[in-house]
Amino acid sequence: MELVASLFASDNYTAVKKMMDVSAMRHAAIASNLANVSTPGYKRVDLSKTFEDELKSRIGARDTDAVVAAQPRTETDSLTPATRADGNNVQIDRELLDMSKNTMNFDALTNFASGSLKQLKMAITGRPQ
Amino acid sequence: MNVLSATAITASALEAEKMRVDITSQNIANAHTTQGLDGKPYQRRVVAFESVLNQEMGQNMQGVRISDIKQDQSPGEVIYNPEHPHADEEGNVQMPNVNIAYEMVDMVTASRSYEANLAVVRNARQMANQALSIGR
Repeated sequence: MELVASLFASDNYTAVKKMMDVSAMRHAAIASNLANVSTPGYKRVDLSKTFEDELKSRIGARDTDAVVAAQPRTETDSLTPATRADGNNVQIDRELLDMSKNTMNFDALTNFASGSLKQLKMAITGRPQ
Repeated sequence: MNVLSATAITASALEAEKMRVDITSQNIANAHTTQGLDGKPYQRRVVAFESVLNQEMGQNMQGVRISDIKQDQSPGEVIYNPEHPHADEEGNVQMPNVNIAYEMVDMVTASRSYEANLAVVRNARQMANQALSIGR
């Protein structure tokens, strides 16, 4: 029981769960940007930079409760200058690159979560998968 | 947080981009319509997009919809063609204001945007599949 509980409460496992949430939110933001690639005046949305720094420092400090409490949030990016006359600052190539990166990131995270569970399974059954 | 619910945003974009292609094809089809239902030459249609806040996806997430389909009021070309059935007394025919080059550019833009949005769906599906295979 001790082993099972500690595995699910471990720093890494909690961090991975939170980062998967973050990854899903970034995907939604990219979906929103690509949907509005032809909407005049639209400003791209992205994960809040302050949130990313916050999460990084909390994971770095190995503060599990603080990591769980972190709420991912988005913000409108009005800093990226609009290169088009209609004021829209979405660049389709950048969004597609970000999306590929994000999907690969998510893959890595799910593999890590799988690994933790496989370890547990191996401990229970006593044989590797 | 759910990867699949982001596809609601993408679906709205796919619908809007498809509509844009439909309107472009209508314009190209009517590039030589000198008399429409109102008796006047065809006027090209232009679509306008507007973003729609999608509250259930969280703050700032925006879908898209076609807010308006307007007629381009700019005058079309007048050509001299006395044999044309719609020519006036002086033999001039008022042609529609459709410019094929504009329409082709619009069509390519719309279909590229459509492809980009399809890539979003593909990636969402991959992410969902990965999440489903956790522990396997």
